[in-house]
Amino acid sequence: MKKSLLWITILVLSISMLAVFSLAGCKTTTTATTAAAETTAAAAAKVFTILFMPGVADPFYFTMEKGIQKKVDELGGSVKLLVAEYPKSWGPEAQVPILEAATAKGGIDLILIAPTSTDALVAPLKKLYDQGIAIITVDTYLGDGDYSKDSDYSFPLSYIGTDNKLGGQKVAENLAKMLNSKGKVYLMNTNPDTSSVVDRGKGFSEGIAKFPDMTLVGTDYCMDVQQKAQELATAALQKNPDIAGIFGVNLFSSQGSYQAVVNAGLTGAVKIASWDATQDLINALKEGKVDMILAQKPAEIGFLGVEWGYKYLKDKAEVPKKVIPGFEFFTKENVDDPNMAQFIYSK
Amino acid sequence: MDNITIKKNGLHELFLQLGNKWIFFFLLLEVIIFSIISPGFFSLNGIQTILNNSPSILLLGLAETFVIITGGIDLSVGFVMGFSSVVSAKLIVTFVGLGMNDALSIIIGIVITICIGIIPGFLNGILIGRYKVPALIATFSMLGITHGISELLIEGSAAKNLPALAGKIGNGSLINMVPGKTVSFFISPTIQRGEHLIEILPNMFVIAFIFVIFFAFILKSTKFGQHTYAIGGNIDAAIRAGIDVKNHIIKIYMLSSLFATIAGIIYMLRFVTGKADSGVMFLLDSIVAVVIGGASFYGGFGSVWKTVIGCFIILVLENGLRMLGFPTFYKLVLVGVILIFAVLVDQFSPELLHKED
Repeated sequence: MKKSLLWITILVLSISMLAVFSLAGCKTTTTATTAAAETTAAAAAKVFTILFMPGVADPFYFTMEKGIQKKVDELGGSVKLLVAEYPKSWGPEAQVPILEAATAKGGIDLILIAPTSTDALVAPLKKLYDQGIAIITVDTYLGDGDYSKDSDYSFPLSYIGTDNKLGGQKVAENLAKMLNSKGKVYLMNTNPDTSSVVDRGKGFSEGIAKFPDMTLVGTDYCMDVQQKAQELATAALQKNPDIAGIFGVNLFSSQGSYQAVVNAGLTGAVKIASWDATQDLINALKEGKVDMILAQKPAEIGFLGVEWGYKYLKDKAEVPKKVIPGFEFFTKENVDDPNMAQFIYSK
Repeated sequence: MDNITIKKNGLHELFLQLGNKWIFFFLLLEVIIFSIISPGFFSLNGIQTILNNSPSILLLGLAETFVIITGGIDLSVGFVMGFSSVVSAKLIVTFVGLGMNDALSIIIGIVITICIGIIPGFLNGILIGRYKVPALIATFSMLGITHGISELLIEGSAAKNLPALAGKIGNGSLINMVPGKTVSFFISPTIQRGEHLIEILPNMFVIAFIFVIFFAFILKSTKFGQHTYAIGGNIDAAIRAGIDVKNHIIKIYMLSSLFATIAGIIYMLRFVTGKADSGVMFLLDSIVAVVIGGASFYGGFGSVWKTVIGCFIILVLENGLRMLGFPTFYKLVLVGVILIFAVLVDQFSPELLHKED
């Protein structure tokens, strides 16, 4: 019985392989015709399909999708949007299978992706690029993010995202302002494998270095776990009880840090800066748990991604290798300002 | 088996008839349904996608098959996989740094990783076989130890900067061709953009499957395999029959770690990254695959091929739902339902009835 099972499996597999060959044959001809169509003036009438591949299920990417949708609606019927499943965890082993499943059908012209690893996504995306799909990385990038010089990872059209390093520097400057340019500060980072937060950290330490009376006494990685952030910050506060400011690079790192500050009885004495204007963090700011938030513009990133991608697909326009939307700062003073409400991320 | 008498009633009869065959028909049904309702599922790309995702769950499933047949469980495989992805990546980067050429660094790095990777299994085996520590406790401790060590090695980050060759092997296929132009094996050729590259059988799947075929044979047709079943079936009888149970259990857990190590090396080649938690999401799926495949946690039953079918039931379901745009949550629910069904069928299977007698 077991043997027969094996034989049937082999039979089915071989039949499927055969079927696949014939299907693949058909496919080549269709791609050939579309390729031919692209070169002619008929390209103007083509409906372009855009795939959005988010990094992980969180408000930042939900907001980005809203921005993408907005531009797609603006363009009317000339663009069709597909949104891949939001990965539940951050990493290539979660993202790549979703990306491959979403692209297996074919028929995609442009992918807007937030790569979850600077190295691991290079090969899978290169394969899609070789099929003729245009690729724009949003929020995070491949390699070192510089697509202007020739390299294994320089094939994407563009990187559209916040200048995290500049953001980190600005956080340092604003924190320095709050602390009258003196004192010890501490950096709570999340994950050294993610380009965006690493750059935030780099920018922050460079920014702090500009103030002679300020020192960065430590950096820890909480791996996006609030509990771990709290433990690490508690340890840091025990070691340096005179820490005056903490920069938590996202929600979990800053909330964990805040909790540690409260437990150490230092509420108010330690200023906490954070990143990403999620509703949770805005609430934390209103409650006084956080003193400053840098808001990225995910909706604008998504909007620009579609805008540039469409320009490229339709008119073969030259796309800048880096497109950097700005950011805004939330503090207790402006958090209730109706003009700022647009920068709070959606759920 | 024919001489076993069983009380028969309607439901009983149905489950008996379904017996061992249902998983195969279930898989077939899944494939047929998805081929009809999901465009592109039954295409070369669709199949490649499933095969691309398969090595981790196949190898961890293979590991759990051997362990579960002996009546044990190995919770450490997920983090042994992560551990070996980290160790191999670190070693290869070190060798390349020392000026060794890429191919040689990769080969030596992998060989050393395999040697290191079976140590957790050896320790598990000693604890479980010799000192009678419950498998759950021993392997759970090893889970923590391997996790901790890998995080220490990479200092909470991911091991990177592997040579490009690693990624080429890990993402290549056995046969790559541009119709009428080039054919290459193992590594994708450099092609003109827009050319249609046909890839058949991902390298990493082929490697995993070679292990599956070889160890299916070992389990089914060798003395080693018979002893494995004997220990799971009745450990006291196995001892009386003169089987060296202690050493056999050590070997089983070493094998389990070996498969997890290979899975980690495959992860490292495919994602050119070593990551401590790379195997976390596959541990549960692999155990589920083994149970769907009819193995019993009481030991003594199970087969590699049925585990393989169990793995593909999960993989096909996952990929089919994904291509239709359903979130993974549906997969979790459906796998749960299938699992309950599998266990129910087992309750009525003739082999188990026989055991209860």
